[in-house]
Formats: sequence, structure tokens, C-alpha cells
Amino acid sequence: MTVQWRPVYAVLEREVVRMFRQRTRLISAMVRPLIWLFVIGAGFGAVLGQASGVSYQQFLIPGVLGLTMLFGAMLAALTMVYDKESGVMRMLIVAPFAHYWIVIAKMLAAALAAVLQALLLLILLAVLGTLGAETRFGLLALGLIATSLACAGIGMLVAAFTRTLDNFAAIMNFVIFPVFFLSGSLYPVNRLPAILKAVSLANPYTYGVDLLKHATLGVLPSGMGADFRVWVDLAVLAGFTLAALLIASWRFSQESAYEPMIHILTGKHGGG
Amino acid sequence: MNQAPLAVRASGLVKRYGDVLAVDGLDLDIPAGQFFGLLGPNGSGKTSTLHMLATLIRPSGGSARVAGHDVVKDALKVRAAIGLVFQESALDRTLSVAENLRFAGLLYNLTSKIIEERSAELLELFDLADRRNWAVGSLSGGMRRALDIVRGVIHHPRILFLDEPTIGLDLPRRRKIWRFIEKLRARTGMTVLLTTHYLEEADSCDRVAFIKSGRLVKSGSPRELVESLGRYIVEIESPDVSALARRLGSGFGDCIKDEDVAHFRYAGEDVTRVAQLQGELGAQVSALRWRRPNLNDVFLWVAEGKL
Repeated sequence: MTVQWRPVYAVLEREVVRMFRQRTRLISAMVRPLIWLFVIGAGFGAVLGQASGVSYQQFLIPGVLGLTMLFGAMLAALTMVYDKESGVMRMLIVAPFAHYWIVIAKMLAAALAAVLQALLLLILLAVLGTLGAETRFGLLALGLIATSLACAGIGMLVAAFTRTLDNFAAIMNFVIFPVFFLSGSLYPVNRLPAILKAVSLANPYTYGVDLLKHATLGVLPSGMGADFRVWVDLAVLAGFTLAALLIASWRFSQESAYEPMIHILTGKHGGG
Repeated sequence: MNQAPLAVRASGLVKRYGDVLAVDGLDLDIPAGQFFGLLGPNGSGKTSTLHMLATLIRPSGGSARVAGHDVVKDALKVRAAIGLVFQESALDRTLSVAENLRFAGLLYNLTSKIIEERSAELLELFDLADRRNWAVGSLSGGMRRALDIVRGVIHHPRILFLDEPTIGLDLPRRRKIWRFIEKLRARTGMTVLLTTHYLEEADSCDRVAFIKSGRLVKSGSPRELVESLGRYIVEIESPDVSALARRLGSGFGDCIKDEDVAHFRYAGEDVTRVAQLQGELGAQVSALRWRRPNLNDVFLWVAEGKL
């Protein structure tokens, strides 16, 4: 397995260039979490009051950081599908490296896009004075990296099994929203009813948000802080990310080695 | 140097899709530096052959070596040595011309500096130097095709595969693309393997091969092939083509029937014999003309299985 840094870098660079070029995508990536924080967070905050030492708005910060990364990584991972549809994938499959490198590079690019957007959001939050002084930055950096990779993993899994971008609305409804709502982003996992709690525990993204809770809220006696240990979060995220990478690579190499993909890319369905 | 090494060597290449045999035991030898045309109707197996040689699909049988490497066992070495321009664009329309070339170059592990130099040189060669910073989406179809070829040769491949490089372009643009390819060949000496069904374009090939139902049926230099047909093609329009074919069969041999026109081959130099036919056949002839054969005729005769 020869490491191909320049091709990987090529994929990362293209993703970042495209991200900053698509202004509306970037602006909505910033507006979405701010709406959660300052509209929904403020509204519910007023109803709930100061629940044991932490305002609901503060409680939401790890959740919206995660949300930004979830959307960012998802959209970037789906360029895999865009590349198949637009034909750019042709450039990648004729290049001289094993095809699983395409999956690795795309996954890293999706994680990078997610981290960059989360950093932009953190700057915005710092400027707005919403970021608490007790934030632990080492843990935050770890949380951003681990969560962005896991989100990229979710994105690559979806991309590997998606044929066209036409069903993006379905992806929103059946992947992004459930992953976000059933994650402890909006409510502490330990207070959820049994079924919802079970689903949340099975959701890898929950552990990413939990890691971010460690960084911004810490463990609180009230139960509004992190639910799991840091090492548990890291282990689940790492395990999931690796599994997602393997499944997506397997699926992609199936597609390229056994030809359906080349037929999509050349508009042929055998015979020609 | 006694003999040019082979750029492509395929033997008994087979590609099967379910029950369909797309490529049926194809043998192909292309010496390095040759300009080679793979010709045939749609669905004859040209693209499948090209994709097997480019390691994108796996042969169902037989073997092939490209640039000296086995296409199955050494796919990565093959991919490093070849450039491939697909029928449809591989470019990212959201990026600029220069950004696309940078992306392509990095994928081949080239340094930024080399990419810069080669982009400048190739864009100059392909008349795109002043479009460097244009978004690909705003280029004309002909320019995009030219850029796609530049993209395919940025890593200086030894062998360039062109799959229908001029498909969908109008005549002036097609000519332009051919001039670019000629200039590129003159400068680099690279082997070019192209597929096309615009046969007049294959005239400039060193060698062409006709492929039909996945088999190579005829190959040679365009001139040899055209000459093998005879000196003239005689086209006779008649109300009863079958009767005409029967009557002339003994003297002129087999013919190709195309609606109410029969095409005969005529090997003799003396066309007075042909001119006399008008009088001999009388009402059986509505029109009669003769002309020099070209590759299109070779194609027709090959397709009919009569050559």
C-alpha cells in the first residue's frame, strides 16, 4: 500500500476551493446553527429557565457544532455522487492509484470541510460572546477531528449506496435529521425514554456530540453535561469511522472492479 | 534498435456481459509511436476494448499488455503510462481551466511547478492560453474537448487513448481537434489509439482496424485497405436491384445493395467498360456513376462481410 499524498491533497484542495466558491452553501452552513442557538435555544431557554447551572442555549452549543459538521461532511461526501454524475470521477478512476484511495481521500476531504466550517462557527460564537470561558480547547480540537471523521464516515456510507443526487431530500429526511435528533444534541441522553435512549446509544454521532459536551460543558452533577466517558466516545467514533471507511471502500471497489460504475460513467449498459 | 517495441499487445481478448459477447477473441498489436484507429459501428466492441486496455474493466478472457505491463496484474503501471480521453467530459465545470489541470496533474503525482509549466505549454498548443482562468462551464464544446485532451496528456503518457474524440462537434471544430492531435503527436511522438466512426478522420492514421461484433475483421494502412477494394466503386441505381446484381454478378462480382442502388467494385483502370454498361443495361439503369473508393466504402464492405 503506497501512500499517495499528492492525489489525496488534490482531492482535499478541490473540496476546499469548491466549498469557498459555493457561497450559499457556506452561508447556510453558518446560519443553520445560529438559528438553532438564537431562535430555538433562546425560546426553549425562556420556557425551561436555567436548568441547573447551564442555560439551554449553552447546552445546545455542542449540538450545533456537531450539526454544522454533520451537514458539512455530508454535503462534501456527496460530491462522490456528484462526481459520478458529472463525470469528474473519470479523472479519478484513470489515475494511477488503487481505487480505495479515492474513498480515503474523499472521506478526509469531507472531514476537512466539516472541521473548517466548525472553526468558522466557533469564531462567530466567540465574537458573539456565546462561547463559555470554561471551554477546554485541547478536548475541543480532539472532538472536532473525531466527530468530523465520523460524520464523513456517515456521508461516505450514504454516498456509496446512492446513485443520484435527486434523492437528496430523502437523505435529509432519513439520514441527517434522525442522526441529529436522536443524538443527545437537543436533550441529555440519560433523560430520554427507554426506546429513544436505545436508539441514541446506537447512533455513533451521539458520541461525537458527547465529546464536544466534554469540551464545552464538562460533566455536570445535574446531568446536563456529557453522558459518557471520553475514552468511550473516542473508541466508538474511531471504531465506527474505520468500519464506515472499510464498507464504503469495499462497496466502491465492487462498483469499479465489477463495472457498473464505468457503465454509468460512459453511459453504456453492456454490449458496446 | 532493430524493432519498435509494442505499445499495445492483446491476444484473444474477450469481454462478456451476461450472454452478450462484446469482444470476441480480439488480437491487436500496435507498435510504439503509431497512430492507430479502431473503427467499427456502434456496439461493435470498440469502447469495451479500449476500457479493457485502460484497465477500467476486466477482460473475461485472453490477455493484454499495454506499455509492457499486464492490464490485470499491473493495472497501476498501465494507468501511469497511458492517458485516456473518454467520449464524455471528465472536467469539473465549477473549476477554472487551470484548476482542472492542477487537479489532474496532482492526481498523477506531479509537482505544482511541473503542472504550471506543462499547462502553459499545452494550453498554448491547444489555443487555450487566454482561457486559463475561465470557468470550464463557460467554454464552448470544442474548447472543452480540447481541454479534456490536455487533461489526458498532462502527465506525458506514452500512449494516448481517444474514445471518439470528435463526437458531437461540428466539422470546423472536428478539424481543429485533429490539428491539435497532429501537433501533439509531432511534438511528443506518443502512440495514439483512437476509436471513431467518422471514417474520413481515420485517413491520417498509420494503420486502422475494422472491428465487427467484437472481432477484428480487417486491418492495414488506410491506403492499402482502400486499394484492396479496387480502383473504382460503380454505383448503379436501378428499379430492380436484385435482377441487376444477378446480371452483373458474373463480370463484376458481389455487390452491396443500398435501397435502389447497387455498389460494385471495379479493379480495371479502363472505365470505358463501365461507361458501356449504360447502353447494355438500358431500362435497368436509372443512374450510373463511378468514383474512387474511400474508407467509408471499406467500412461498408467490411460491415456486409464481403471483404
